[in-house]
Amino acid sequence: MAGPDRHGSGAVSEQRLSLAPWKDRRNLLALVVSMVTLALILVFSATVQGFATRGNLSVILSNSASLAILSCGMAVVIISRGLDLSIIAVMVAGATTYATCIEAGMGGGAALVVTGLAIVAVGMINAWLIAYAELPAMLATLASAMAITGLFRFAILRGEFLLLLPKENPAVQALTSDLLPGLPVVTVMMLAALAATWVLLNRTVAGEIIYAMGDNFLAARLSGLPVRSVTMLIYVWAAVMALAAGLVVSSASGAVDFRTVTNGTLLFDVILVVVLGGIPLRGGRGGLANIVLGVALIAVLRNGMTLMNVTTQIQDVIKGLVLLAAIAAENFLNPRDIETDTAGDL
Amino acid sequence: MKRTVTTIAAALAAAATLALPATAQDNGMAGKKVIFVPITMGISLTEAWARRMREHAEVGGYSFEVRDAAFNTSIMSELLAKAIADKPDLLVVHNPTVQLLARQIRQAEAEGIPVLQINLQSNQASTGFVGASWERIGREIAEDIVKECGAGTGKSGKVAVVPGQLTAADSVIMNEAAFKVFEQGGIEVVSNQASDWEPEKARQITATVLQQHPDLCAIFGHWDVHTMGAGNAVRDAGKADDVLVYATGGGDSVTCKAIEDGVLDRVWSYDADGQGRDAGTLIDLMLQGARNPDGMMIAESPLKVIKAGDGYDANLCFKM
Repeated sequence: MAGPDRHGSGAVSEQRLSLAPWKDRRNLLALVVSMVTLALILVFSATVQGFATRGNLSVILSNSASLAILSCGMAVVIISRGLDLSIIAVMVAGATTYATCIEAGMGGGAALVVTGLAIVAVGMINAWLIAYAELPAMLATLASAMAITGLFRFAILRGEFLLLLPKENPAVQALTSDLLPGLPVVTVMMLAALAATWVLLNRTVAGEIIYAMGDNFLAARLSGLPVRSVTMLIYVWAAVMALAAGLVVSSASGAVDFRTVTNGTLLFDVILVVVLGGIPLRGGRGGLANIVLGVALIAVLRNGMTLMNVTTQIQDVIKGLVLLAAIAAENFLNPRDIETDTAGDL
Repeated sequence: MKRTVTTIAAALAAAATLALPATAQDNGMAGKKVIFVPITMGISLTEAWARRMREHAEVGGYSFEVRDAAFNTSIMSELLAKAIADKPDLLVVHNPTVQLLARQIRQAEAEGIPVLQINLQSNQASTGFVGASWERIGREIAEDIVKECGAGTGKSGKVAVVPGQLTAADSVIMNEAAFKVFEQGGIEVVSNQASDWEPEKARQITATVLQQHPDLCAIFGHWDVHTMGAGNAVRDAGKADDVLVYATGGGDSVTCKAIEDGVLDRVWSYDADGQGRDAGTLIDLMLQGARNPDGMMIAESPLKVIKAGDGYDANLCFKM
């Protein structure tokens, strides 16, 4: 098994379990990102009114819940050396299906089952295109994103961009309420997604195969690992995470908005989180700690800039510069070697 | 034989001309071509406009085509370039920003194609404009906010502005007008961040601002659709009774539903349905050669103020 053997399985397991990825020299980027996040927290706390408050922490958590959940899906895909450009389209398609079901009078549970089945089917189609039709992941998911967006907009929404959700509907209220006082359902969903991702990557055979695929796909396949079945699992996983994020976003804002797919920067934000956290686009490395680090930096940056009344456009510029710096740092800290070069890129 | 065919063709053409309604054959509009390039279809605003303009086209006997840019500004520039190349008799353009299509509007006018700008103006003047007076809306909403939150009301005087895009015509003009009133009325604008017209971004911005300024008095959203996200953030924070949510919009039934649900409090509606009819009338006149020698032909939309509370009237909204 190429992944764990390459760096020594013991070392890799220790790295993923320890929640301190910077112990490994290759994860210096994670150290840099955590230091930057800490510095930002200190600077914002000292200079921005209302930043260092309990209420603001709650806002940071609820505002970053969808981003964290999506990142759990994308991180697993990227660790396996894949890429899912359809994740935002699936997110909005899932929310649309759920909203359409409850509008048709279905209960929350039944709507969730129907939506879940539809979204698993979408994930399986993505995976089939990649694992069996052997299309490059980037192109297959880009095409499916377009197909999903077009299909849902014109067949279900009949050309509309927006679907408003009745917030008084119990199926929507269930998602916007607090599970315990001060503990919103969306925060619980985020924590559950993070925990499930940790279990998948660290406590299952599939997790080991995901790392092996990311480290050297060819070697993983030639050594007899069930890479096709695991690819199915990976893209279904991403689709389910996208659905969870879609429910979080649409229930909070009271709307399903297809412009998130066509015009929004959310896909960029998700990739930004994963790369910033220290998961290389060439796969094979990274884990829960990296996702948490990436989300923390973006969430703190976004919240601080909003409190400082920095315009959305300038926020995008700053995020773009941060991503460029992260990719450059990652390339510098993890220079390509013969093995990673011969294994190919996305 | 050839002569017989020609005679029959001429007779058919004459019969077809006679069969046209009197208005179409006499008014110089019949057979002409109008192209509408909106920011997007699939929203009640543009659908309402297109519906009324299409009705006028049917009566006037001219063709009416829609080229949907689907919220993509680069596609919109391409569609407009193609529309100009098709040499229509009139173009209707819905500008996403004050600058984006200015050069192409100038080009169309230079090539003799009159351009009717609808609701969102460009920096570039053209033959006509139909739409709301954003200056008036910005000023009136700001005056209402001063009345509710300004000096002497006992409120904090804090307001958050949620534009769609800072460079869109409505945002530019409304902010300019509103900020003048705010300055004189002792209002403090604590946030002015664009939502890119997205409800979720508006929600996130508002949730964050509400934490920083729990005594926020009002939110001024520049479009009812994205402002619903802001209104939901206010409701979720349990501040629906403390924070007034203002918006502008085309005033379809969804807006009234949002007011009934307590998501929005006050909406300055420019009545998209009425705007569509105004646009249709202006198109008819422009196709017949009407021009304003002193500048643009302008049809300013009357406003309807839809407020929650005792004076609420659901009939102020139109249905698609």
